Amino acid sequence: MRRLLVASVLAPGLLAGLTTAALAGETLDRVMKNKLLVEVTDQAYPPFSYIDEAGEVVGFDVDISKEIAKRLGVEYKVETPSWEIIVAGNWNGRWDICVCSMTPTKERAEVLDFVNEYYSAPANVVVNVDNNDIKSAADLNGKKVGAQAGTTYEKYVQKQLVIEVPGGTAKIDYPFAEATVVPYDSEDTAFQDLALGTGKRLDAIVSGYLTAKERVDNAPDKFKIVGDPLYGEPIWVAVDKGDPEWEAKIKEIFKAMSDDGTLKAISEKWLDTDISTKQ
Amino acid sequence: MSDTSKYETTGVRVAPTPVFPRGASKAFELRVVAVWVTLFALFVLFFMSFGLKFSFIAERFPALAGLRLTKDGFIQGAALTLFVCFFSIIASSALGLISALGRLSSSAICYGISTFYTSFFRGTPLLVQIFLIYLGLPQLGPVPDAIPAGIIALSLNYGAYLSEIFRSGIMSVPLGQREAGMSLGLPRWVVFWTITLPQATRIVIPPTGSQFIAMLKDSSLISVMGVWEIMFLAQSFGRSSYRYIEMLTTAATIYWILSICFEIIQSRLELKFGKGYSKAR
Repeated sequence: MRRLLVASVLAPGLLAGLTTAALAGETLDRVMKNKLLVEVTDQAYPPFSYIDEAGEVVGFDVDISKEIAKRLGVEYKVETPSWEIIVAGNWNGRWDICVCSMTPTKERAEVLDFVNEYYSAPANVVVNVDNNDIKSAADLNGKKVGAQAGTTYEKYVQKQLVIEVPGGTAKIDYPFAEATVVPYDSEDTAFQDLALGTGKRLDAIVSGYLTAKERVDNAPDKFKIVGDPLYGEPIWVAVDKGDPEWEAKIKEIFKAMSDDGTLKAISEKWLDTDISTKQ
Repeated sequence: MSDTSKYETTGVRVAPTPVFPRGASKAFELRVVAVWVTLFALFVLFFMSFGLKFSFIAERFPALAGLRLTKDGFIQGAALTLFVCFFSIIASSALGLISALGRLSSSAICYGISTFYTSFFRGTPLLVQIFLIYLGLPQLGPVPDAIPAGIIALSLNYGAYLSEIFRSGIMSVPLGQREAGMSLGLPRWVVFWTITLPQATRIVIPPTGSQFIAMLKDSSLISVMGVWEIMFLAQSFGRSSYRYIEMLTTAATIYWILSICFEIIQSRLELKFGKGYSKAR
C-alpha cells in the first residue's frame, strides 16, 4: 500500500516534467513573458493557411498573425492541430490566438471569445459568359438559381439567411423579389449545368467568391462573376476565454493594421482583392 | 546456454532467412520470388492507372520521408514517426511486462490494477485515449505537449495488448524449468530473469513484432494533435492542393517500407532467441 502511495505521488510529478506549465488566464502576460505568440490555425485551408511546398505554414491568416507578433515585439510560432481541437476551447495556455478563418456561432461562443471581425467572405452571383441580362442580384427575379444545399448561399436565394455575430445579427439586403433555388449536393454539378447555357438548367449560381473565382479563372470562356458581393460571411479572431486585456490589445493592433493599410495589403497579396474588414 | 556459445565461437550461421520455410528447395524460393515480382508489378500498374502527378510527389517526398527538417528545425515525416514509435516501443514493453507480472501475481491489488488497466486500454479506441490525454489531462493540471501526449497514449494502449502477449509467453514456459532453477537454490528473480524470460521471449517475438508494426501505422492517429508525422503531412499537402491520392500513395509506400524494416528486425530477433530450437547442423 505504501508503494502505491509513493507511485501516486510521483506520477503527476513525472507527467508535469513532460509538459508545459499551465497558467491561469492572462494570455497577454504569457505572450510578453515568453516573448512568443503561439498562433493556432487550420493545416489545409488555402489561401488562408496551408503548408507550402517548402514545408512552411503560409497564407492570409498566417501573415496577419505574424504581423501581430511583430507589432507586439515577440517571436512567432504556429501550430496546426485538428479543427475539432481548436474549436473545443479550453486551450490551457497552449495557444494564444486563432486567426483561423472562424465563423462565430452560438456554440463556439460558449467556449471561445470572439474578439473582432477581420474579414468577410463574400458571396457573388456567377452567370454563363454569354448572359448579358443578369448584371447584379437585382436581376435574379424569377430566375432559376443554383446553390449548394445546406449553405448560406441557398438560404440567401430563399431570402431566409440569418447570420449571427457576437452582439446581434447581421443585416442582409435582398434586391430581388423572388428567385427559384435549385439545390445541389456539389457545386461541381451546378457549374456543369450552368456551362450548358443560360436557362438550360440554371440562369445563375450564388457561390462563395473565393471558390467561384478559381472556377472562373480556370474556365473564363464559360463563366463570369457579375455585380457587387451580395453579403459577407463574417470571420472573427478567436481567443481562449478570460483575458479582456489581451482582447483589447488585439483590437488595438487590428485598428492600427487597418488604418495603415496592412490588412488591405495582406488581403491583396493572397486574394487579389481587399476582403478585410474596416476596424 | 552452452549451445549458443558454441555456435558463436565456430561462427556457424543458424537457419536460412525466415522469409522461406525451413528446408525449402531453391526451386520453391525462385517461384515465391516470381509470385512477389508479378504481384508487385500488378500493384504498380494499378497505381499508375490513377494518373499520378509525379513531379508533385517528388517535391514533397523529402518532407514525408523525414529527409528534411521543418522550418523550425525539428524532425518531421517518417523521422518523427520513428521517433515517436521508438519511445512508445520501450515504454509499452515495460508497461506490458509489469502488467503481465501483475496479472500473474498473487496480490489482489496488483491483479486488480493490471486487469483494470488492460481492460480499459484494450476496450476503448486509441483515438479516444489520445483525446483524453491531450484534452483531459489539462483538467487535472499538467498540460502535455502533442508529442509526449502521443507517446503516452501509444505506450498505454500497446502496453495493454503486450501485457496479454507477455503473459501467454511466460505461461508457455514449462513449470519444470522454474522448478529446476529453484532446486539449484537460485533466487526467484534470477530464475525469472535468466530462465523463464529468455524462453518466453522466443514465444512472444512474432506477436510482439506484429504489434509494433501495427503501432507504426496507428501512430498516424496522433496527427490530430498537429504532430507533423507522415500522415499529417500527407493530408495537409493533399487537402490544400487537391492532390490527395498522390500523397496517400506516397504515405502508404513509406509506411510499407518502414514495416518491412520492422519485419526484418523481427526475423533477426527470432533467429537469435530461437537458436536452441533450430536444427543443429
